[in-house]
Order: sequence, then C-alpha cells, then structure tokens
Amino acid sequence: MERRDFIKKTGLAAIGAFAAPYILPTGRLFASTGAAPLANHVILVMFAGGVRKQESIGQTYLQGSQMLYAPTQAQAELNVTGNIMRNMLEGAAPTSKIVYGKGAGGQTPIAPLLSQTLQQQGMLFTEMKSSSAGHYGGLNVLVQGNTFVSQGLKQRPVNPTIFEYLRRHGGPVDFPASKLWFVGNGIGNSLPLLNHSDHPQYGTKYGANFFAPTITFGPKGDSYLRDARIYHPQDQLAPIYEMKYFLDNSFENVGKTLPSIGNTEAEKDQIKHFMKTMFDKTTAGTIAFPPEHASAGNGDTATVGYACEVLKEFKPKLTVVNLSAVDTCHSAFTDYLKALHRADHAVGHLWNFVQNDPVMAGNTTIIAVPDCGRDATPNYIKDSQNDFFGYDHSDANALDVFCLMAGPGMPVNTTVNSANNPGFSSQWATADIVPTIADILGLKADVMGANMLAAGAGSLFDKI
Amino acid sequence: MKKISNNISIRSQIICLFLLISLCLIVPGCRKEEKLFDVNPVALLPPNSGKTKLKTNEQYIAILHANLFQTALSANQIFDIGQCMESIGDQELARELVISNFMNKPGTIIPSKAEMAADVNKFIVDSYNRFLVRNPTEAEKTYFENYLTARITPADTIMPELVYVSFALSNEYMYY
Repeated sequence: MERRDFIKKTGLAAIGAFAAPYILPTGRLFASTGAAPLANHVILVMFAGGVRKQESIGQTYLQGSQMLYAPTQAQAELNVTGNIMRNMLEGAAPTSKIVYGKGAGGQTPIAPLLSQTLQQQGMLFTEMKSSSAGHYGGLNVLVQGNTFVSQGLKQRPVNPTIFEYLRRHGGPVDFPASKLWFVGNGIGNSLPLLNHSDHPQYGTKYGANFFAPTITFGPKGDSYLRDARIYHPQDQLAPIYEMKYFLDNSFENVGKTLPSIGNTEAEKDQIKHFMKTMFDKTTAGTIAFPPEHASAGNGDTATVGYACEVLKEFKPKLTVVNLSAVDTCHSAFTDYLKALHRADHAVGHLWNFVQNDPVMAGNTTIIAVPDCGRDATPNYIKDSQNDFFGYDHSDANALDVFCLMAGPGMPVNTTVNSANNPGFSSQWATADIVPTIADILGLKADVMGANMLAAGAGSLFDKI
Repeated sequence: MKKISNNISIRSQIICLFLLISLCLIVPGCRKEEKLFDVNPVALLPPNSGKTKLKTNEQYIAILHANLFQTALSANQIFDIGQCMESIGDQELARELVISNFMNKPGTIIPSKAEMAADVNKFIVDSYNRFLVRNPTEAEKTYFENYLTARITPADTIMPELVYVSFALSNEYMYY
C-alpha cells in the first residue's frame, strides 16, 4: 500500500470511529435537545373557515349575531344565547330558536358524543390571536409558526412547516413520511400546498403526505384512481423502479431531479393498499364517519371520517385535519351555525375514535384552533332560511380566536386568559401552535433553535 | 597595435550580430507557410439536455394518455384527473396511480411480450421515441438490451407494460 493511500484510509477510519457513536439508531446525527415527549401523537384540527368568537366560546348564539340587526318585532325571538359546540365547550345549549341541528329547519340538535367536554379534559385558551384575517394566511401561520405570510395563493409557505421541522429534526426512523399526514377538506384555496414549504434547507423531502378525501375518494377519484393496478412489490414494482432509477440517473447527469416527499417503496405500497381499501369501504358505506354523517353530515364530517381511517392505518405522529364548512357564513348564517355544530360533532367523534384506538388512546394530544375569526358586525347578505345576516372576516374581531387542547400531561379543566394569568404580558397567538406541537413531541429545542418562528412564538406550555 | 586589435574585435562582433539577426529574419521567412486548421468550441451535451421545462399535471396527463392510447382526452377529463393528482401529497405516487389506472383500461396500445422478444432493440428504440421523444444513447441501449434480454423468458414477469410504466414514471418524462 502506498504511503498516501495508507494515510487516506487511516484518516477515514479514524473519522468513522469518532463519528459512529454519534449516529443514533433513529438516523439522527445528534440526540434530540428537547425533553421527553408529552405524547406520541398529535392531532391538530384546523377548526377553520373563520369561526366567530361570539358564537363559539362566547356562546352568544343569535343574541350576539342577529338580534341587534333584526327588525324590532323579531328581536325578542332572537334574544337567545347558548352553546352549540357541546363536545368541545362547557355550557348549556340554546333553549329556543334552534336552527343548527338536524331534521326540518335544523330543530333537533345533534346529541353530544363525549361524556366530558374537551374543555373539561384539557385547556381552553380564550384569548388566542390569529395573525391573519384571511384563510390562507391563517392556515399558513398554523403550520409555519411564522407570521411572514406575504406569499399569495398558489405559493407554498416560505418558512418550514411543522411537518418539515419534525421530519428533519426528528430523523427518518421516528418521523418517516407516512407518519405525518395532512387531511384537507378539498383542494381549493391552495390547501394542498401546505404539506411543505419551499425553504431550501427543508422543503419537499421533509413534507407530509396529503389527501383531500372528498376528491381522492370522491366521484373523481372513483373514476380515475380507483382502478389503479397494484403491482406486485417484488415481481413487478422492483423491475419498474429499477428501470426508472436507471432512466433517472441518466437524466440526473444533465442536472435534473424531481423533488419527492420521500415515501419509501414500502410506504408507497402501504398507501396504495390503503387507498384501495378506502374505495371499497366508501362503496360499502363502512368509513369511520361521525355517527350523524349519513343523516346530517357535510364535507367536514366526511373529512374527519377519512382522517379517522388514516389514524387507524398509519398511527401518525402528527395529523393535521382542516375543516372549513363554516365559511358559508359570508352569505348563509344559518348554514354557518349548522356547520359549526357539525364541526363540533366531528371533533367529538375524532376524539372518541382516538380513545378507542389501542395505540393512540391515552397517548395523543388534540389541538383545535380556528384559522381566523369573523367580523364584529354583519354584512348585508341575508340567508334564505331565516333572514339572518352573514359575516365576513376583515376587521379586528376576525383576529380573535380560541384554542382548545386536551391530552396526557397537561392541566385539565383549565381556562387560560389574561385574567387568570396576570403576570403574562403578551398574547397567545396561533403562531404558538408549531412550537407547542414540537414541545409535545419532544422537539421544541430543535424547532425553536432553527430561528424561523415568529418573534415571540413559543410553546403554550411555557406561556401559562 | 592593441587599439587596432580592439577595433577588429568590435567589428567582428558587429558582423556576427548582424548575421545572427539576418538569420533570425531569413530562416523563418524561408519556411513554407503551414495551414492551421482550428475547431470551433462546441459543447457536447447528452440528447436529453434540452428538456428544461417541467410539465404541468395537465400536460403530463394529456401526453401520457396520448402515448398509451394514441387518442386525446377531453378537457374535462384532463381537469378531473389533474384534481385527483392534486389531492394526493406524494406526486410520484399520484403519477403511479394515474398510470396504473390507465393501464387497467381497455385500449392501451402496447406491444406484446412476443413482439418485444422478437426484436428487443427495436422495442427499446421505439419506447425511447414514444416516451422521451429521442433515440437512446448506446449506453442506454446496451443497458436495456441486457436488462430485458436477461428477463425475457416466459417464466419471467417482465412485460412491455412494466417498461412503459418505468418510462412514464421517469423524471425525464416529466420535462420537455
């Protein structure tokens, strides 16, 4: 062996000997700098579409939304308050003028599914600030933890999303692509772009899997995806990939690669089988929909049904579910109340489902937070059902939202606001959700250390 | 006497110098001029280097359908399939599903295994022409020839369909 070769090989061996002990079995180069996880699974329900604080945690129902603006003779009938989210919040339901339930005129409220509300089981932040009065901006803040949301529709987030933080800093063994899911209620408003950012140090390869079940498993998916042939992994897929990789290598020589979120071949196979099962279950009517989906459901209850199926199959570390049926509030306030009531029903079902899953029960935290609120005063559009005024989202009231959390290792039956936290000077904000999720999953220090969160953003556990 | 000798020495030095300069000027001047042929610098790039633009999902679907069925899809169908692709986060997986869904439909124009076996070289060149709109390089031809010839026995499962799927899934196919 020549001297130069000897020195080279000895040097490499020495570097290897020093480095090997630091490469952990999880695939991480360094151990997590965070504490032990509070839970192994997190579900973030983007309780989105613009939820007015008054009808949700304010429980002012028609008194706070319609009475003041209605003709004098109708005002007495509209002077009614009450809680229409009885799975999530404490409080008695309205006693009259019920329009949000099921059946003719929505007169029959959907019975609560949870014996104990989520508020009783966890923490309610009543003074959460959204950084945006718009949907896409609000959703961006929820997944990025950064308020820099100047990118328009059709553009991916600028800063890394929580999916990318977890996959990059958590390592491929603990956080493979199939353990992070984003279940959207459609593909409008650039929703599919939120599964990863365009950030050069993060980006596609750390992205999450995404389904918009009403499309993927709806009539369109049924026509164009259902009949997809599932090739045999060894006999057929292996040669397909072998030839594809040869072609890709040949093309890579001229500098072109296609980014991919990096599902392994085994993960892809699992997803394809899952999809096949979903098409069969959809036909058979055996999707884990909320109980009232068949009689009184909507897009949100459908989305949550498929999200439950994703939980059952993949046991994700992080599942983000987007709901948005309440956005009908612009022109149909009655439908907004119905959608809010159904979103609550869907969240109750989701939590029930988790508690009945042998892997996720007792080991999952749920966080529900709207993308934005709605205006203090109505617009001039009356709905056709009750002559109720609609509400847009563009004023300061649209920045007032709430956050509800429940799961292991957190205080129960606790309301957090400035009255019971007098020493705390700043606001709780939707940008805090990303570091909070990272905190729950034991990666807070890594995510905070990346220095790409909004100024002042931090774990809600540190802010109480 | 000494002065005369110095003068002779200086004169002979001047003469030598003059002769040297003359020689330098005359010798090259007597040479026959040689023609110098030059080559313009040309960048040699692989045949796929001109593909720089990424296809949209809709372009991909339309071209894929035309390649497999040699008929066009309607604008509505392209739009709907595009939405299906958008509803799946892993775009590579989405393409796989769309391709294999097409493969399951009647009417795909794919050579039989016997046709492939009869002339592997032609099959390779045709596949490159159909999907990548170019001829294969010798290296590519050799790779596929070896790969397919080794697996073309009746017992083997390598079908032309699988070759087509691999071409339709390739990164190069996503560019034009």
